[in-house]
Amino acid sequence: MLLRASSAQEGHNADLQSVTDTSLSPGVPQGDCLAELTETTINGDWLHMAQIRGRAEATMGPQQVVDALTVAAAFNGITRVADATGIPLDDNTAAVTQDMRLQTGIENFAYASKSARYDKLN
Amino acid sequence: MYAHDTLLRETLITAHAQSWQAIAAPGAFLTGAQRVEVVRTTRDALFCELCHKRKQALSPNAVAGEHDYLGPLEPEMVELIHRLRTDPGRLTKAWFDHLVQAMGKETYVEIVSIVCSVVIIDTLHNSLGYGVPELPTPKRGQPSGEVNPDAVDDGAWVPIAAGTTQMADTGLPVVPNIARALGLVPSAFSLFFSTFRPHYALKDINLSISQSQAEYVAARVSAMNECFY
Repeated sequence: MLLRASSAQEGHNADLQSVTDTSLSPGVPQGDCLAELTETTINGDWLHMAQIRGRAEATMGPQQVVDALTVAAAFNGITRVADATGIPLDDNTAAVTQDMRLQTGIENFAYASKSARYDKLN
Repeated sequence: MYAHDTLLRETLITAHAQSWQAIAAPGAFLTGAQRVEVVRTTRDALFCELCHKRKQALSPNAVAGEHDYLGPLEPEMVELIHRLRTDPGRLTKAWFDHLVQAMGKETYVEIVSIVCSVVIIDTLHNSLGYGVPELPTPKRGQPSGEVNPDAVDDGAWVPIAAGTTQMADTGLPVVPNIARALGLVPSAFSLFFSTFRPHYALKDINLSISQSQAEYVAARVSAMNECFY
């Protein structure tokens, strides 16, 4: 929801589907660099990180690279808080993102769905 | 911590240094030594054979075994730490119920706050090409036992901080649910969000990347970690 709103506000057209479908371009400035930095970080691929960082720095500059990594690190932590506590979506978010969640496949990440999917294989 | 980096905000460097010291101090239910052991175990989880096999399996519950761990923490604590570090996207309510039967929701929340703070700090260090920081030295003292008596059951697995119906112009409540998630244990809440806060804002983000760029990174991380929220 915040990606769509902030992108529109900045005059861009972020493709929400690109969040789960990496074959698509994100539609935000330097989106491909951001995707590569993020994926390398979350995969913990530290062997290649220097190379990826260097490539991104040539396009975005070192400060933007550091700031993108700052956000990636933060969400690597806070997503775990959400997952470990089963925190529900905020009411308004749940209502206005229903179609988007289905469209992007994010609905599959719902805690009740995961519990049904993985617990039955116990 | 981050001694050689001038591109990180000073507020972030200071916050992480303070978090590292806070982890080493007694918490609400764990001693400083236990909390530092949680940090060590969080890191060791990345090399656990059982975690590796489970990650490859169709369901983590399809693979039995013991975690690679030699230390003083209870098995349920080790299970929490390893799964939260290596496979957070497939945690389930039944798994949670089993763990809290052994350790209680309050200790569970405290461990979650430590693991998730360490994940932030170590991820940033590694992504910038630094080694992870050395373990802090545990501080002596007894856990405080402090819980939030006003925590409420509001649909999460654990009681969370009381909310408000007041809405912000982001379309989210002034206090979104995620910011209430660790509210059962005030020191756990404080540790995690002190670590997290200098990294991100819902609007007017104080970074060189734009809000939409930050939101894209955030959303992509959430998808990779299979996080619903």
